[in-house]
Amino acid sequence: MPFWLKLGLRELRGGLSGFRVFLLCLALGVGGVAAVGSVVSAIEHGLAAQGREILGGDVAVEFSYRFATAPERAWLDRQGRVSEVTDLRSMLDAGGDAADRALVQVKGVDAAYPLYGAARLEGGGDLQSALALRDGVYGLVADPVVIARLGIAPGARVTLGGGSFELRGALAAEPDQASARFLMGPRVIVQTDGLLAAGLLGEGTLFSTAYRVRGADVHALRLGFESAFPNAGGRWRDTSDPAPGARRVVDRLGSFLVLTGLAALAVGGVGVGAAVQGYLGRKTRTIAALRTIGAGAGEILAGYSLQIGAIAGLGILAGLVLGGGAVLVAGPMLAERLPVPAEFGLYPRPLALAALYGALTAALFTLWPLARLRELRPAVLFRETAEEPGGWPRPAMLGLVLLLALVLVATVIATSGEPGLAAWVTGAVAAGFAVLRAAAWGARAGARRLAHAPVLRHRPGLRLALGAIGAPGGQTGEVVLALGLGLGVLAAIGQIDANMQRVIRDELPQGSPAFFFVDIQQHQLDPFRELIAGIEDVGKIDTAPMMRGIVTHLNGVPAAEAKYDPDAGWVLRGDRGLTYSAGLPDGATVIRGDWWPQDYSGPPLVSFAEEEAGELGLDVGSTITVNVLGRPLTARVANLRPVVWGGLGINFLMVFNPSALAGSPHGHIATVHAEPDAEAPVMRATARAFPNVTAIRVRTQVERFSKALEDLGAATRWAALALFATGLAVLVGAAGTAAQRQTGEAAVLKVLGASRSRILGSFALRAGLMGALAGGVALIWGTAAAWGATRFVLHMSFVPEGWAALVVVAGGAALNLLAGMAFAMRPLSRRPAGVLRQAAG
Amino acid sequence: MSALIELRDIRLTLPSQAGDVEILRGIDLTVGKGERLGIVGPSGSGKSSLLMVVGGLERATAGEVRVLGQDLGGLGEDALARLRRDHMGVVFQSFHLIPTMSALENVATPLELARRTDAFDRAAEMLAAVGLDHRHDHYPAQLSGGEQQRVALARALAPGPELLLADEPTGNLDSRTGAAIADLMFRLAAEQGATLVLVTHAPEIAQRCSRILTMADGRVSEDREAAA
Repeated sequence: MPFWLKLGLRELRGGLSGFRVFLLCLALGVGGVAAVGSVVSAIEHGLAAQGREILGGDVAVEFSYRFATAPERAWLDRQGRVSEVTDLRSMLDAGGDAADRALVQVKGVDAAYPLYGAARLEGGGDLQSALALRDGVYGLVADPVVIARLGIAPGARVTLGGGSFELRGALAAEPDQASARFLMGPRVIVQTDGLLAAGLLGEGTLFSTAYRVRGADVHALRLGFESAFPNAGGRWRDTSDPAPGARRVVDRLGSFLVLTGLAALAVGGVGVGAAVQGYLGRKTRTIAALRTIGAGAGEILAGYSLQIGAIAGLGILAGLVLGGGAVLVAGPMLAERLPVPAEFGLYPRPLALAALYGALTAALFTLWPLARLRELRPAVLFRETAEEPGGWPRPAMLGLVLLLALVLVATVIATSGEPGLAAWVTGAVAAGFAVLRAAAWGARAGARRLAHAPVLRHRPGLRLALGAIGAPGGQTGEVVLALGLGLGVLAAIGQIDANMQRVIRDELPQGSPAFFFVDIQQHQLDPFRELIAGIEDVGKIDTAPMMRGIVTHLNGVPAAEAKYDPDAGWVLRGDRGLTYSAGLPDGATVIRGDWWPQDYSGPPLVSFAEEEAGELGLDVGSTITVNVLGRPLTARVANLRPVVWGGLGINFLMVFNPSALAGSPHGHIATVHAEPDAEAPVMRATARAFPNVTAIRVRTQVERFSKALEDLGAATRWAALALFATGLAVLVGAAGTAAQRQTGEAAVLKVLGASRSRILGSFALRAGLMGALAGGVALIWGTAAAWGATRFVLHMSFVPEGWAALVVVAGGAALNLLAGMAFAMRPLSRRPAGVLRQAAG
Repeated sequence: MSALIELRDIRLTLPSQAGDVEILRGIDLTVGKGERLGIVGPSGSGKSSLLMVVGGLERATAGEVRVLGQDLGGLGEDALARLRRDHMGVVFQSFHLIPTMSALENVATPLELARRTDAFDRAAEMLAAVGLDHRHDHYPAQLSGGEQQRVALARALAPGPELLLADEPTGNLDSRTGAAIADLMFRLAAEQGATLVLVTHAPEIAQRCSRILTMADGRVSEDREAAA
């Protein structure tokens, strides 16, 4: 057996003593990544396994505010069993006051619904019989939330549009819920015939239809349909990706959370590195003795690498058990709270990835102290104190460290699923490392200098604290790095979250309308304006014709094949609102090209939003084809307008000349500015006069959006907590190491006559100062990161939040103080004689 | 001569992995003010432990310890620390300087703890007295062993203690440096009128004391006036 193997195995006999923090840091980091990855995998498997239920069929084609034509429907019926589902927003009216109306997302179904899975009603019962026409009244089932809000019970008569319905039950489960797009209100299900009778699916009304087919192959079906109806303009979905919206959110959030977990692993790496450095420091004399009796530097390096590698393997395994096990245990509880289906289990890919990240991180952070072993000279045996090997490793080892760092970053970017985001996060973490390292170096130098300043004479406690912060080989570096990274990420998340909430709550409502009204028919437009204008405290009313269309071609190239900036992907996903106008709309400006003459009636022209045009590669003179109601409309881009989407006014990506769209049936939308006191009268008046018109109260939607953001923030904060826990483990490790030094200091100070409270005060001061320093640096880089993300990713204004700053700095000081104090009691309680005897020995 | 230290049947037992170890087995001792007591004996005889008990750094398991008129058994940790701060100086074989403080700051620390406003002037005076007035700003790691022990001696004597306890102060130094440190210690203790209790292995240093206590196996085997 080679010597290095013997050495490694012999050292392993020493057990895990001195490696507790090492194991904890690695296990927490790997566990966090494994847990998040396992949840994402569970959701992906859940979506895939329940693809048919979620989609409502084997394949589905969707149309915007039209039904399939008779030939289209007949063609589909020949392919398999078909279910037709309509979707729209409307007002559910329980009669009485404005408070008895609620914006709901209505689903109209036929007798075949659902083709897969089953809808469940609270208290049991069959959906189809609940919806059936009885005594001339259609049935309606609704989300329990809206039933409770309106204070109604089964048997109550409610109104949707111009139709009366009977509430026949509360919806407990909707099989295809996850495939729904952004819901503006709670779900209500009725028969499509009931909606038709209520006049809610007339021409110009904003609704969508989906035709789900059971027992068909998507590719064959799509090819056949598109060749039979080339201009149908349908959107296709199949079971491989039944809920693209939900999947995108899960993928993106999952990637972000995994990256937060990786940041936790990086923080853990600091603890891992410090633990190895401390361990090897304690082994200095053993290693020097081995060198003296002829062991080669390479053999020693290999032996200790074996030992530390084996312990790292144990830490990674513990992390996988922790992360994978936690998800298995918490799975049933998580499944209930997730809006998408999830199948919890042990998935190899996220666990393998977590293990790979863990191994690379452990290798990266242990290689540096291990590499310095080569530089250890046997002469240390003959010195008074056995110092840890310091300085830079030789160039080859340094190259290996850099190579490992690159491999780690490349692996993260390649496997995260969001390369851009991963690059940003790894860049931010690397920048955070650099800033914190520099800050720790600066703090040490500053503390050393300050400790000897004449102004600190007669303050031995403070001088001692500053001396310890500035001491070479002290814990300042690891505390500032671990706490600084952890608090920095928390600070960044806190600042981004606070700014998003501020923008939604404070900025948007100022100058924003109180209501959006949709589905106002052409003949209702003037009476609607007159009615609203007559209500007290109502301000500006804006209206615009509105229809929806799908962009199918850019400059003649099918949208699916066109090259464009991914930021503009939303323009080509699903259908977009369109309008027409003879003149330049109020408040709009043209920055390229010209607006068409008032009486223009030539080939179709379109005015396009400037930023999105650039991202799609469109300019004045380009052509764009939009499918409106199953008919392709190709228009030339006549001009470009800057559009501010955050303003909540009426904004359209595309404005056509009137004659291009005049023939298409359409409704109008309106925005109404009103004082809060006028909101109830507006709701009441419009409900009575225009039952088919849907009122969307901005304040309610802002609250809903704000709540959704809070939920998102909560998920992010949980992930950040994993990072924070790892940071705490590093702090505990650092405090434990510092306690060894403090034991000696406390003994000497007692000999010199210092009371325990005075010694404790000095220890508290150094821990608090170090923590506050880490908090301060974290605040600076966390705020800088939040500023960058808010301004350049979210495109919002940024205002630093004072409370968050205070919490971060005070939190840093308090946490390090707690960790420090937890370890300070032992040094204080030890009798000086024993400590000094030991130190002398 | 009034008694500065009075020990009655002192016993000290310390726990170890192999079981309790009896370190001191019934020591009776009286040391008068101004005495220079040298404690000698083989390694493990209990010399240093006896010194630690006198300094209140170790608590006797049994017996009565009276130092400077105070019963140390009745004093708490902080009261013991105050007693050392105001009346005692201690010098160790391993110096035990605070590594993050300069020589001047190390010497000034006990004076600062006693809230002396002249702490740094007095510290500078003491460094000059031990011949290190050119080393004020040096850290312990930048000083030789002999220099570190001079700083430790200056630190112990700076508050003007009535009792100086020295535990093998020359044990880590070569004979020439050790002799110089011993000279300095005897001279300064005499100048300040401090009572000196010194543990040493070096017979030539013990001979400079007024009284020599020899210990063996935790007991006093001989207590005699020095020949000089």
